[in-house]
Amino acid sequence: MKLFQAAALSAALLVSASPAAMAVERGGVMTYGRYADSLFLDPVLNDANVDIWVLSNLYDTLLLPTDDGQGVQPGLATAWKISDDAKTVTLTMRDGIKFSDGTPITTEDVAWSLTRAANPKNGIWNFLVESIDKVTATDAKTVTITLKHPDPAILSALTVFNTAVLPEKAFEASPGDTDEAKAKAFSEHPIGSGPFMLQSWTRGQEMKLVKNPYYWDKGADGQPLPYLDGVTFEVIPDDATRILKLQSGDLDGAEFIPYARVSELKSDPKLNMMLYPSTRVEYVTLNVRPQVAGKDNPLSNEKVRQALNYATNKEAIIQIVTHGVGKPLTSFMSSATPLHTGDKPLYPYDLAKAKALMKDAGFANGFSTSLLVLAGNQDELGIATALQQMWGQIGVKLELSQVDNASRTQQYRDGTFTMRLAAWTDDIADPNEITSYFAYSPTIDALHSGWKNAEVDTLYQASQSEMDRTKRAADYAKIQEIFNATGPTLPLYETPYPVALAKKVNGFMQIPLGNNIFRATWLQK
Amino acid sequence: MSLLPYLLRRLAQLVPTLLFIAVVVFLLVRLLPGDPASAMLGDRARDADVARINHDLGLDKPLAIQFLYFLKAVATGDLGTSITLKLPVTTLIAQRVPVTLLLTAMSAVIAVVLALPLAFLSALRRGKEADVVIRGVFQVGLSMPVFYLGLVLLTVFGARLGWFPVGGYGTGLADHLYHLFLPALTLALSLSAVLMRNLRAAIIAVVGAEYVDFARAKGLRARTVMLRHVLRNALISTVTLFGLSVGTLLGGAVVTETVFAIPGAGRLMIDSIYGRDYPVVQGMTLALAVLVSVTFLLTDILQASLDPRVKR
Repeated sequence: MKLFQAAALSAALLVSASPAAMAVERGGVMTYGRYADSLFLDPVLNDANVDIWVLSNLYDTLLLPTDDGQGVQPGLATAWKISDDAKTVTLTMRDGIKFSDGTPITTEDVAWSLTRAANPKNGIWNFLVESIDKVTATDAKTVTITLKHPDPAILSALTVFNTAVLPEKAFEASPGDTDEAKAKAFSEHPIGSGPFMLQSWTRGQEMKLVKNPYYWDKGADGQPLPYLDGVTFEVIPDDATRILKLQSGDLDGAEFIPYARVSELKSDPKLNMMLYPSTRVEYVTLNVRPQVAGKDNPLSNEKVRQALNYATNKEAIIQIVTHGVGKPLTSFMSSATPLHTGDKPLYPYDLAKAKALMKDAGFANGFSTSLLVLAGNQDELGIATALQQMWGQIGVKLELSQVDNASRTQQYRDGTFTMRLAAWTDDIADPNEITSYFAYSPTIDALHSGWKNAEVDTLYQASQSEMDRTKRAADYAKIQEIFNATGPTLPLYETPYPVALAKKVNGFMQIPLGNNIFRATWLQK
Repeated sequence: MSLLPYLLRRLAQLVPTLLFIAVVVFLLVRLLPGDPASAMLGDRARDADVARINHDLGLDKPLAIQFLYFLKAVATGDLGTSITLKLPVTTLIAQRVPVTLLLTAMSAVIAVVLALPLAFLSALRRGKEADVVIRGVFQVGLSMPVFYLGLVLLTVFGARLGWFPVGGYGTGLADHLYHLFLPALTLALSLSAVLMRNLRAAIIAVVGAEYVDFARAKGLRARTVMLRHVLRNALISTVTLFGLSVGTLLGGAVVTETVFAIPGAGRLMIDSIYGRDYPVVQGMTLALAVLVSVTFLLTDILQASLDPRVKR
């Protein structure tokens, strides 16, 4: 029997210690500028970060991620126990918890919500809880999850947006014949148990959240959270306009500050330029199939991939594209991902080594290849032109092909692309999601690259039910070692989330998974 | 006045035009690489998820069947449901098109208000200082990219001087108009430059025409000559140009709406094309086509009332 509660509680105390030291002020509405509007506020059926990153403000989960994004702390459940055979998780619900409409949250609601999240017919996130076999409302305070196999990531999964608890009766009473139709109707006026509730939503313009009077958590002053009366999201797609609105005082915060503006905003006395640690990694995906579009593909040669890696001056790209905000990757996964290993930048710039590898591979005179770039994306264009110039030094002629996202996705999914630029952010505080997509071939052929490594596949499968954390860490260390040395990517950099806040904003948090957390945010009058 | 049969004939011509547009846009969006499910689910989509969603959307049926479904729905006023936003397309049109319409109308008004008097001044002071200055200023307006001009106006009149809001749309008609002034001005500047130059040239040509000399010789007052003879004749080509420019204005609205954070049809259209949101692209294209056709119709009516020869 393992008890995670004590560890989680002390972690929670640690992170909440610093804001508690200041005297908080209650009230006010925080206006936050977003680059794009949300699309669909259903925790299970959504499919985009614009939804995921705000959902936790509306819908609460059984457990919550810690602020560092690595661990879990109590949420709607106060205690949890994993059985000795690791196939049963028993959760104890918090007393007196209610939905935002005042109705009590029952264990039946929990069982129904988790069952819906794990249904493979629902949405694209069910793989995060694929281990769930059955969820039972054992009694009024206890929920029992029966697993198909031991799942070391199950507790992390219970913090993820798709496992949020929804009111079964209200959802099922929504008009519509299918789950999706009901979800559409329900999410227009969602009922959850997060710190806020949806007041109004003018698509493409503004979303207003107001304080949920029934939220369970207490603030530093002993009164219920949240401190804010509400949060208003304003949709301002243009970066320059979003910053102007922040500087003119129309906004209290603005997301996705372009890297080029970070140092300028750092010196603005009215703002706090925040760089929140993130799990975002930027990389090039290389198709490693022996042939692409009927032609021999030099990228199928491991040495060629290594040569391209060594010929890429990542520090220079970090300076040019991220204006020094990013840092070189030490593994394919971000350093904020649990079980990440590596303390040295991968493939430090070494032109001589790159040339030698090219010669070894039989490409002493280089070759021509191509890279898909997202049209209109300045960061990608910056990286691509830098690569073009850098790889020219080892005789690789790079042709840039600018396409829109859907066209690129099609070539990517068909496996007909040669190279593409890409970025990734984790959704769960566990290495299993990124590893499944990047390295475990059955998921999507290792980023649709055609790369396959039998040892990695075996290690990954084993790690998915490995409850011994040390052993699991060793599995992941080996996976990373193999993938980083021979894998189908060219790691470029990892970047934080650049968010600019007015000086009066306190206690706002964007965790490494991207979630914007307003539950303990307060405005200084 | 024999305007009614003319009008009916023109309206009847609209039906095949719209049907043609419907076919073209229906095929064009489907010819684009990618499909709604993969655009929506992005890079992480698994094959099974993509297939399931495309099946749910009926996109695995033959094109002809899909088109018949589409036509049948359109005939009953149902333009379908947005794939990404999960809202009826008619709702989206009702929300977004009026915003763009207001923006376009306001910039058209500003463009005319700017162009009309300045064209007269410029034409009548041809080659003099006023003419050079006016044409110079408009040349700058014409050559500046819309997004840059928009940002400059936002920075100066919004953030620095605080005379206008820094983007957004506001609530209530008065507030909307206040919010739309800078974006409308941004859009209007290049249009008014075109109109101004065209009208100036027309005025110069008309002023030298014999019938104007004759009008003057009859002893008509300068004011009457200007309004009844010069302006009326000079306006004919400018009105046509103006009507055609409304289509361009709608195009420019896309950029302006992004810079000024206005939730209009242009932005929705772009997002929907990127998202391969077929129903929205189809519905919005039809709505905009109706809008442009109606504008052309109004232009023609206006032209007909200026120039009796058109009404044949």
